[in-house]
Amino acid sequence: MMGGCTRSQGRTDQITVSGSTTILPIAEQAAELFSEKNPTASVLVSGLGSSAGIEAVSAGTAQIGTSSRDLKEEEMPLGLFDTPIAYDGIAVIVSPENPVSDLTVEQLQNVFAGVITNWSELGGEDRRIELVNRDEASGTREAFKKIVMGDVPFDPRAAVLPGTGQVRDVVARAPGAVGYISLGFVEPRFTNVTVKALQVDGVTPSEKTVGDQTYPIGRRLHFLTKGKPSGLAKAYIDFVLSDTIQQGVVVDAGFIPVAEGGAQ
Amino acid sequence: MSENNEHHSAGTLQLVSRSTYMKENLLKAVFFMCAFVFVLAVALIFIFVGWKAMPIVTEYGLGKFITGTVWSSSTGQFGILPLIVGSFIVTLGALALGTPLAVGTAVFLSDVASPKVRSFVRPAVELLAGVPSVVYGFFGIILLRAIVAEFSGTLGFGAFTAWIVLAIMIVPTIAVLSEDALRSIPEGIREASYAMGATQWQTIYKVVVPAAKIGIIDAIILGMGRAIGESMAVLMVVGNAPVFPAGIFAPLSTMTTQIVMDMPYAVGLHRTALFAMAAMLFIFSMFLVATVRLLSRLRD
Repeated sequence: MMGGCTRSQGRTDQITVSGSTTILPIAEQAAELFSEKNPTASVLVSGLGSSAGIEAVSAGTAQIGTSSRDLKEEEMPLGLFDTPIAYDGIAVIVSPENPVSDLTVEQLQNVFAGVITNWSELGGEDRRIELVNRDEASGTREAFKKIVMGDVPFDPRAAVLPGTGQVRDVVARAPGAVGYISLGFVEPRFTNVTVKALQVDGVTPSEKTVGDQTYPIGRRLHFLTKGKPSGLAKAYIDFVLSDTIQQGVVVDAGFIPVAEGGAQ
Repeated sequence: MSENNEHHSAGTLQLVSRSTYMKENLLKAVFFMCAFVFVLAVALIFIFVGWKAMPIVTEYGLGKFITGTVWSSSTGQFGILPLIVGSFIVTLGALALGTPLAVGTAVFLSDVASPKVRSFVRPAVELLAGVPSVVYGFFGIILLRAIVAEFSGTLGFGAFTAWIVLAIMIVPTIAVLSEDALRSIPEGIREASYAMGATQWQTIYKVVVPAAKIGIIDAIILGMGRAIGESMAVLMVVGNAPVFPAGIFAPLSTMTTQIVMDMPYAVGLHRTALFAMAAMLFIFSMFLVATVRLLSRLRD
């Protein structure tokens, strides 16, 4: 506490950024780099969940609220200004040996609900579908659930793995397996094990199709401010939208940068 | 000894004995404190867990908790029957695989191996007992799971993989303790058996192992305690699906693995349910310890 007090002497400005845990890594690293560049500014970042972030920014306890979901109908009148800072696409992955390459959202829902249990029902080989799910703490699971599953519960018999890397690794080597991971992790990075990303509703997942929202399993990551951003909040948001963060932190975190001039 | 005593009584008896007396008392107090702190810690943990678990009884219902078959935090259903069943499937299977291997190793070490062979096999077994469980889990997920996936045509997560990993983990525990039990059988009993014209195999099978039976059962129960409480290694290979498994190659979950999986984000009644599950594990292990104590009394 004492250290914090003395260090903040001479700092003219401080903002609080709070909300989505999905966005937390981006916001945090951006805040660190931002403070390095602007030693007089301090950006406090916390992750409480998207709804809490929206609540905080509209109540004025945070200058920027972060959210990994779009605003709901009833949140529209809050007068929040929306700046998308990145896209997140979720790829449905199978083993490269699997001949199935295109599913609809409805088929995916039935697969992950445990209604469709054999690949032959989807135009593939006669092979049991081995479901790979994520743990309930996962933001990817949350997004997949919201977009694909709706109110339909996941099949509880699915294997539940605690990390993107594990899902990728397991699916890559099991011919009957299907799982989902953030689009940024489909291409091999530290391994030569490959997985195949399925088309969904005929659309191949890519930075472009997630960006223009033709690929159905995608979401935007938002920074929300009360009215147009100004002052330090604007400086911080501009910094997050700069190439330094977009091509560095955002890409590293497995997300897709917003197109140039993404600020609306 | 007696010379030593005379020495004491000869001259400096009082001075030495006073400081010795104080040292003795001090040490007694220190040892008492050690034991007391430990017992207090166990008691506090038990009280804390029980207290945190209480709402399951008062708000959710103990019957629904223990006999419920759906574990789903998003719908507020906390039935742990599939997890209890999962724990027992995993533990008993591992014991079935591991016990013959462990007792065989123990017999080999106590009655068959030459001292030279024993001198490097026994430390190797003891070393295995000390390997951190996460190492076994890592081996399980990287190597074993892939092999099981290959020949079973599934993901490789499930009871079968867990059995092998756990069996490897508990064999050293059971083997070392069983060997101690076998070695505590007096040599005279073996000699009597040989004198009756029994072969070595007959002696082992009909005389030595039955004589050490209770000690071996002790060892197996302690192995069971290790297996039922193991979380890390099991977590990595069971697949973590809180359902009654459809087969030995289908994902399942155990009480310990579910606690580890859910701990980071559980709140409210969900967290309470995890504490209640911990209390169940506490009761299970108390039951196992009580069984061991009872058996030891039987032996004496």
